[in-house]
Amino acid sequence: MHGTPDDHLISRIAAELRRPVPLRPDFDARVMAAVRRDIPSLPVRAWTWLREPRVVAMSPLGGLAMAAGLAGLLVVGAVSREPIADSRKPIADSREPIADSRKPIADGREPIAAASVTFLLSAPQARSVALAGDFNDWDAARVLMRREASGLWTVDVPLTPGRYRYVFVVDGRRFVADPAAPRAAGDDFGTPTSVVTVGGGALRAAGGSL
Amino acid sequence: MNVRVLMLAAALGGLVAPAVARAQTERLAGRLDDRTRAAVTALVDSARAAGLPADPLVNKALEGASKGADGGRIAAAVRALAGDLARTRAALGRSATEAELVAGAAALRAGATPAFLERLRGGYPREPLVVPLAVMADLVARGVPADTAARSVLALVRAGMREAELVAFRQSVERDVALGAPAGAAAAVRVNAAERDFGISATGQQPPSAPPRPRKP
Repeated sequence: MHGTPDDHLISRIAAELRRPVPLRPDFDARVMAAVRRDIPSLPVRAWTWLREPRVVAMSPLGGLAMAAGLAGLLVVGAVSREPIADSRKPIADSREPIADSRKPIADGREPIAAASVTFLLSAPQARSVALAGDFNDWDAARVLMRREASGLWTVDVPLTPGRYRYVFVVDGRRFVADPAAPRAAGDDFGTPTSVVTVGGGALRAAGGSL
Repeated sequence: MNVRVLMLAAALGGLVAPAVARAQTERLAGRLDDRTRAAVTALVDSARAAGLPADPLVNKALEGASKGADGGRIAAAVRALAGDLARTRAALGRSATEAELVAGAAALRAGATPAFLERLRGGYPREPLVVPLAVMADLVARGVPADTAARSVLALVRAGMREAELVAFRQSVERDVALGAPAGAAAAVRVNAAERDFGISATGQQPPSAPPRPRKP
């Protein structure tokens, strides 16, 4: 059978295409190695997966359930929150030396920044001294002071900026104001109370007018 | 922020606020008799509804309990403090922090006027005022007349004193008083000295005849 010239041309092209291409023996191995090189490592793939934005569908009921769950967690946290320095055991064991110059205390009472405040009372005859104030629910059992050899009782209490009222409780029954600290004005309960102020900012030199 | 997020936040706030309030008043459990506790709780709830901080009121009640005060006295003290906090907030504004309200209430109790608080806040709308307010109250506690203490603090803050310097000023006055100086005179002398150091006159102007001295570090 004789075809047209076009048929001859197509046959020749097809024969040329069918002819095997000579390849080097390691061609397949090199291709596979290159493919493996382009696959990112597991951590990279995981990070990419985590960063990809996704649309999360949630029903109103599911949203409310999630909100209630979060609220429950917050409630548990709020209810179980203990006041500062209340760890249900005296904190005197963890106190650092009074002469620690890293602690920014002025006059032994007023730190410039929120930090640990050192309370001191000289009471050589006392058998126990505790601290009660706004920072520990006025519960003397929570902050026991430690006796130094000289009869000086000390304790460090972490306080955030603010003004706090406090007293020393000597031998579990006697309320003693701090002789080195200012007294609170207008005592409501018939016993003197001291105050400590913890600063948290710095009034600048300029910018104000009164 | 879309509407759903806002609704979720509102729902969370509505659920959490009562729990926090309950936690605050539960601190009174076991410390007050039932009748006193009910009275104090009512006062605390009322104050909270008015936007006042509850913790200082609870602390006041616990102080009374710790000192063995009777229920009537405890409730009266809590009520008085709530009133002082409300007056302080009216003077300092709704943005006042809890610490500022507590210090301001102490200053009022010491004899400061609401006008003093307003001037202090007016001059420093964004600075924390806890220390200036506390120094004012502390000076009065050491015997400085209230109006002298208020004028002193205003002058010193206007002169640019920082918190540490205000505390040092108070300590200087305390030392002078301990050595026998009249409290009011000690404060006035120390204010004059500070104004010289800071190069600012009591009216807030630079003295024309003397160059300003460098500020203390």
